[in-house]
Amino acid sequence: MSRQTCMISRRLIALAMILAAAIVAGSAHVLLSSEVRIRIATTTSLYATGLLDELKRKFEEKYPGVRIEFIAAGTGAALKYAERGDACAVLVHAPSLEKQYVERGVLEAGVIFAYNCFIIVGPGSDPAEVRGSRSVIEAFRRIYSAGESGKIIFISRGDLSGTHLRELGIWGRAGLNPAGGGWYREAAAGMEQTLIIANELSAYSLADIGSYLRLRSEGKLPSLVILYANPDDPDMINIYSAYVAKACSGDEKRYALLFLKFLQENQDQIRVFGEREYGQPLFRPADENIEKLGDLWSEFASGMEVGFP
Amino acid sequence: MSQVFSEILDVSLRSIYVSGFATLLSASWSIPAAYLLSLRRRVVVLEALIESLVGMPTVLLGLLLFLLLSSSGPLGFLKLLYTPQAIIIGQAILITPLIISTCYRALRGFATSYLELALSLGAGRSQAVMLVLRESAPGVAASTIMGFSRAVGELGIAMMVGGNIRGFTRVMTTAIALDVARGEFESAIILGIILLVLMIMTAISVKILMGVRAQ
Repeated sequence: MSRQTCMISRRLIALAMILAAAIVAGSAHVLLSSEVRIRIATTTSLYATGLLDELKRKFEEKYPGVRIEFIAAGTGAALKYAERGDACAVLVHAPSLEKQYVERGVLEAGVIFAYNCFIIVGPGSDPAEVRGSRSVIEAFRRIYSAGESGKIIFISRGDLSGTHLRELGIWGRAGLNPAGGGWYREAAAGMEQTLIIANELSAYSLADIGSYLRLRSEGKLPSLVILYANPDDPDMINIYSAYVAKACSGDEKRYALLFLKFLQENQDQIRVFGEREYGQPLFRPADENIEKLGDLWSEFASGMEVGFP
Repeated sequence: MSQVFSEILDVSLRSIYVSGFATLLSASWSIPAAYLLSLRRRVVVLEALIESLVGMPTVLLGLLLFLLLSSSGPLGFLKLLYTPQAIIIGQAILITPLIISTCYRALRGFATSYLELALSLGAGRSQAVMLVLRESAPGVAASTIMGFSRAVGELGIAMMVGGNIRGFTRVMTTAIALDVARGEFESAIILGIILLVLMIMTAISVKILMGVRAQ
């Protein structure tokens, strides 16, 4: 018995030593690594397309020793991370929220780097007759009356994302309150999941065109078509901005600022992204229309009501 | 295709490393704790407390750890947020009640009797403890496997304190969650199958190891 117990205790000691060595190695790896980590919280819709990974690769090639880490979260959560000092930069698309954080002194050095369009998707049969609407306000009014008469279902993101806030803003401007109607359902999910739910239920939804095109090209949205898309309707413009958190400092901040500059200098990359896979680009670079976008941003930031009337 | 494959491999290996590490770490304090618990009588309240914590929601623990490790939290200076080490610590804490309670059940009752028996037969204190550990090894191993399964399958902690950063803190469950959010059900399913196979294989291999040892 004593020989066996001896063996076991030796084994235990060996195990403990391995454990200790691994802990030391693990923490040394983090503490001693000379890489500069830049934590960037980003809205999910932007991350899911793969554009950011491509930009990250280019940036890290240009600045060796720098590692960009994307944390994908809703716009609301991303801004919270910046406020707490857990992210050094944010990529977001909710002007009204962004403005609050800029005014509170959480964010600085904001730049608009890309935009695309929101669209209304729904079943091809279009029982609400959204096709032919002249403005998104009119389209939402048609959706509301069809919903109230029980003909259709509308799926809302319901997650305080940029897209959700925009949807609430449009309902507010249309003077309508869809909440409480059984036809208005909040998915509390990301864009892709919301689209998949809308597809399953042959329902209407407000989506950004990038997410829709990507899923559509993969054959996952057979019963959803674009019913309203109008790049000239300012309510349908989806503006992506980047900021650096004031709380961030040192090398991380220096490179975060360089990354923002990099976004502005590499607009061509944004211009062509997705063209090959999805038939058309998912985003448009901001540089072509920077002044108009700036005006629109201010309009959204100050004028858009969040919430129902 | 090969890039997708290497990414799946990378995520799987990271899951094994992170959760395996967390399990060993947790076992290093949970097994002694269970042993000490088994030597005491009247531990009903403590037992109930530990058992109730077994089902701790992972997002709740994840949130608490996030607030602790956040730059504006009390442990922010450790700079652990969004590192694999943060996930390891979180998972180790998560599975502690599970390992203690299952291990305690394996040790309860017979630990004291074996200890007394060994001591009365003239064994030294450490020899007696070793005997108890050896005799209870199958139960202890089973509880460690359960701990690993819970750790490798949890999502909330890895998401909250790991941040699902590609190539750094992305593990299987967070990768599945991202794939589902992206509508990429196929790769989510592939990862899910790997996850299940991994859990089953761990359990079987530990059982086989134990079997060989017992002979």
